[in-house]
Order: sequence, then C-alpha cells, then structure tokens
Amino acid sequence: MAGTPGGRDGAREIRVWDPLVRLTHWGVALGVLVNSALTDPDGALHEQIGYGVLALVVLRLLWCIVGPKPARFTAFPPNPSAALGHLRAMLRGERRVHLSHNPLGALMVYNLWLTLLALSATGIMMGTVTFFGVDWVEEVHEAAFGWLMVSVALHVGGVLFDQWRTGVPLARAMVTGRKRIQAERLDG
Amino acid sequence: MTAWLRPLMRPGGADERRAAILAWMIVLQGLCALFFIGDVLADLRAGVADEGAHLWLEGGVALVLCIGLGVLMYELRQLLMRIERVTSTLRAARGEMAEVIEGFFADWGLTPAEREVALMILKGLDNDSIATVRGRAAGTVRAQSAAIYAKAGVDGRTQFLSLFMEELLADPE
Repeated sequence: MAGTPGGRDGAREIRVWDPLVRLTHWGVALGVLVNSALTDPDGALHEQIGYGVLALVVLRLLWCIVGPKPARFTAFPPNPSAALGHLRAMLRGERRVHLSHNPLGALMVYNLWLTLLALSATGIMMGTVTFFGVDWVEEVHEAAFGWLMVSVALHVGGVLFDQWRTGVPLARAMVTGRKRIQAERLDG
Repeated sequence: MTAWLRPLMRPGGADERRAAILAWMIVLQGLCALFFIGDVLADLRAGVADEGAHLWLEGGVALVLCIGLGVLMYELRQLLMRIERVTSTLRAARGEMAEVIEGFFADWGLTPAEREVALMILKGLDNDSIATVRGRAAGTVRAQSAAIYAKAGVDGRTQFLSLFMEELLADPE
C-alpha cells in the first residue's frame, strides 16, 4: 500500500503499477517469448498469439487514456529533450527517482509499442490475399522483429542498470506493483 | 515491518484482490472481443452476404463485449482511485496521530527511553515483549511503564490507551 513505513532509512513503498499494467506487461512479454522462440512462424498458433499480443497492446494503450495516473500517457510523455536531460543528470551522478517511467524509459516504452504494432500490422498483412507473399511486407516484419529483439535487450539492460543506479528494485515493482523508494530521492 | 503488523497496515488487501480479478477479467474479455471483431471482419471480407443474421449476431456480441470492457475498465479505475484515496487519508491520519502522541509525550515530560516504551505500549506489546525487544530486564520495563502511567496520571495500561482513543473519538468542533 502506498506510504507503508518501509522500515529503515525512511524508504517508502509506493503503489505505482496497477494490476492491469502488470498483466499486460507480462502477457506481452510471454507472447513475444513464445512467438519468437517456440512457435512455427508459418503456423496458426503463431498468428493467434500475435493477435493476443496485439489485443494486450491495444488494451494497454486504452488504459493509457482512461487508466489511473501513473499508467497514463501524461505520466510519461514522449519527450526526447527530457530524455537527454535525464541522460546528462545520470552522467553527473544524480540519482533522482521517478515514480512512473523515467524520461529515457518512456522513450523505450513508446519504441516497444510502435515496434509491436508494426510487427502485428505486417503479420496480419502477410495473412491477407492482397499482401500474401509480397516481399517488402515480409522484410518489414522480420526487420521489426530484429529491432524488437534489440529493444528488449536494451529494455532489460536498462532496467538492470537503473536498478543498480538508483537502488529501486524495478523488476520487483512490475511484479508487486510497488516501488520501494527513499523519500528524499523522489521526483515525479 | 513485522508480520503481526501487516494485517493492520494493509486494510486494502481485499480491494487489491478485487482489482487484480478485475484486471484479469479485462484482459480475458479483451481477447474475446478481439476474437469476435476479427471473426466479423473475416466474414465481411469473405463476403458471406446471405448470412446477414449471423453477421449481426456476431457484431452484436463484439459490441457488447467492447461495452463490457469499457465498464470493467471504468470499475477498475474507480476501485484504484478509492484505494489511493483510502491510503492517502490513512497516511494523513497516521501523521496527525503521530503528532498527537508526540504532543502528549512532551507534555508529560517523558525521557527518551520512556517514550520508546510508551510507544510500544501503544502498539500493544506487553512488558515482557518490550523487555525482549529492548534487551532490558523485565523489571526495568515495569518500572519505566509505572513511571509513564504516573506522569500521564492514569492507573494503568487500559486507561493509558483510552487517553489516545478519546483523542481520536472526540468531536473535532
């Protein structure tokens, strides 16, 4: 619960990720994992899981409009200059903590969503009569997949790095929904 | 936070479970909605014109699912807002209560050691537990609590606790 006295050092547990955010996050992660490693790319299962992932992303995007504050677009607007500022602050060794995504993480979120949407769109197109066997669609699908893998690696690396840098267990926060934060480091 | 405090500190447990169930329902219903929408689109593309009733039925189902999805999302949002409200009120109340307690302690002129013991008494620990936690002899704690009751002008533990209850229950005006 928000504001539970967490014991030492004035650390507080703050509720940031609601259950729908967590479910869609891990659902998409599972779907991507299964579709990239386990299913036959030409099979029906691959297609169905792809649709499922698309549904989860669309659901999450809807939640970005109607959901609670930390889940909304307004909590993490795509802002490259803020991301650069965050990068500079990081290099200066500042260790401020953000309640929602940090500006750099926010860019990654949008990147992941756009990539997933592109992947779904080209995937669906490949199944239609008009675009069946069209080379560029297939190439875009594969390029988007490659980019998704790069992004996922960066995403996981970024989370681990930020966890080490700020001492906030981010991965745990995506499971329990709560961020454990030193009160004095709090910044939006 | 110790285990025995947890049920007290997390009154939102049931609400949180409810929120999790709602989130699951939203995800599952979203998948169902997608299935029906996809089916309708596929039927439209395939041009099964003679199956108008079938199409209407499926379209209706898809629509109802989408509306239900909207309702569920609204409910979840309300629930999350309520949890947030409860916890922030609780936090404020807790902060004020801490101030009230500090005020009493200062009025009575408790020593730092007595303050700590008094706080533990308020949290419901008995003398033996307090002695264990603080690593003191049971006799020391007994003497300290006697001093606290004397300074507060009460007969014992129950009256001591009721001093604070009274403060909580009293009319603000």
